[in-house]
Amino acid sequence: MNCQSAREIFPELLDHRTAAAAHPEARAHLANCPECQREFSALSQTLAALDAMPTPTPSPRLRKNFYAMLEEEKNSAASVQVATAREHRTRRGMFWAWILSPIAAGALLVLGFFAGARYAPVPTAPDNSAALHKEIAGLREKIDTMGQLVGYSLLQQQQRPGNDRLRGVLTSAKLESPDDAALNDLIGSLAFDTSTNVRLRALEALYPHAEKPVVRTAVLVSLPREQSPLVQVAMIDFLAAARDQDAAPTLEKISANETVDGSVREAARRALTQL
Amino acid sequence: MIAVLEEISVHPKPSAANRRRAFLPVDATTAQRPDHALMLAVRDGELDALGELFERHHGPLFGFLVKFTGDRAAAEDIAQTVFQRMLKYRHTYRDDGSFTAWMYHLARRCAADHFRKSSAGPRATDPLNLNDRADDAPHAADRATAHDDHALLHAALAQLDQDDREVLLLARFQELSFAEIAGLLECSVGAAKVRAHRALRTLRDIYFQLQKEPLS
Repeated sequence: MNCQSAREIFPELLDHRTAAAAHPEARAHLANCPECQREFSALSQTLAALDAMPTPTPSPRLRKNFYAMLEEEKNSAASVQVATAREHRTRRGMFWAWILSPIAAGALLVLGFFAGARYAPVPTAPDNSAALHKEIAGLREKIDTMGQLVGYSLLQQQQRPGNDRLRGVLTSAKLESPDDAALNDLIGSLAFDTSTNVRLRALEALYPHAEKPVVRTAVLVSLPREQSPLVQVAMIDFLAAARDQDAAPTLEKISANETVDGSVREAARRALTQL
Repeated sequence: MIAVLEEISVHPKPSAANRRRAFLPVDATTAQRPDHALMLAVRDGELDALGELFERHHGPLFGFLVKFTGDRAAAEDIAQTVFQRMLKYRHTYRDDGSFTAWMYHLARRCAADHFRKSSAGPRATDPLNLNDRADDAPHAADRATAHDDHALLHAALAQLDQDDREVLLLARFQELSFAEIAGLLECSVGAAKVRAHRALRTLRDIYFQLQKEPLS
């Protein structure tokens, strides 16, 4: 073996892991070659010096920083695990919510239906107190009366000419104790007659009977429908003279209504003060 | 002849296990688990196992980094970063991996980042430094401090090419097989051995040259 070949084996001989392996030819050459011995010795000394270099010790800061970092990572990993588990639970909850919500809604609907059918109270008649019944009956009677009056008056108007109507009103006015039919004639003329004169005369004829509620009611009902300010003022004076308290709301409306003739509003205000 | 061979026999390298013992704690139960098993446990979420790996390896790793960078503070920072990256990239640790090889793989990357950031390694590659010198001889200020073998060797190491210094330190101190070193350096096993031996011869030349030079 020449020097070149022997020196190629030096790395094996210098490595403690492979030095034990037998390299008889290289070892033999090394034992007999001073040049290679010097080379090998120099390399070996360099390695020895290298191995003898003191191993530096890190400062405590390295260990402290490492464990701080490890702790932080553990906390972070734990928080990530918790967040992942929470998200998983939330998703699972949302899944079941999607599934169960319609089922629960349907079940509640069915339950509500059966519960209503079984337990809901049977509709009962309203409280039949005697006073209430009486009042309703009275109102119904009033309406019926008014309806009969209106119908009757309309029939009367259509059937009679103007002069006859005025004559009829005057005739009725002369009666000291007119019957219901005569009063109906007067009220019908007041409410529906097309002639202002007839209506005014009918109102004058009704003055003696102002104490009768049906007369006062008829005047009060006719008042909002009346178009002539002259008749309106006469009606208001009639109601004020009759001291009809039921007329107050209607009068207040008239007095506040700007579209109504001024003399009518003035009459209404005056009547309200009298009432 | 036997005497000659004994005289020129290889100096036994101090056992890495003995070197680690200085940094080792304590826990006898975890100490029995091999590095690979511990790192697999870390990968699977048992983060405390990294503490045992730190205790076993931070000393040799720090020693390698000090020799490699020539800077204690930088070596500490890099060692810290290596363990930080172990945690960060623990999921990439492979079932068939070698923990030590993986650790030095990370260490090389971190050191490369360090050199890139500091824009210069410990070698005198900075033109400003080259202008200070008339030749390759160490600077007078450096030689003034190199008054023992350790200092001389440090100076010699600092003059080595960065790649040579790296392969020499990995092969000599870190108990890595040449197959693992070849994997780290991304070369063949034969090439790794040649590079390591060439680096050793270069170091020897520099080292003996420094020994011959008179101190100023």
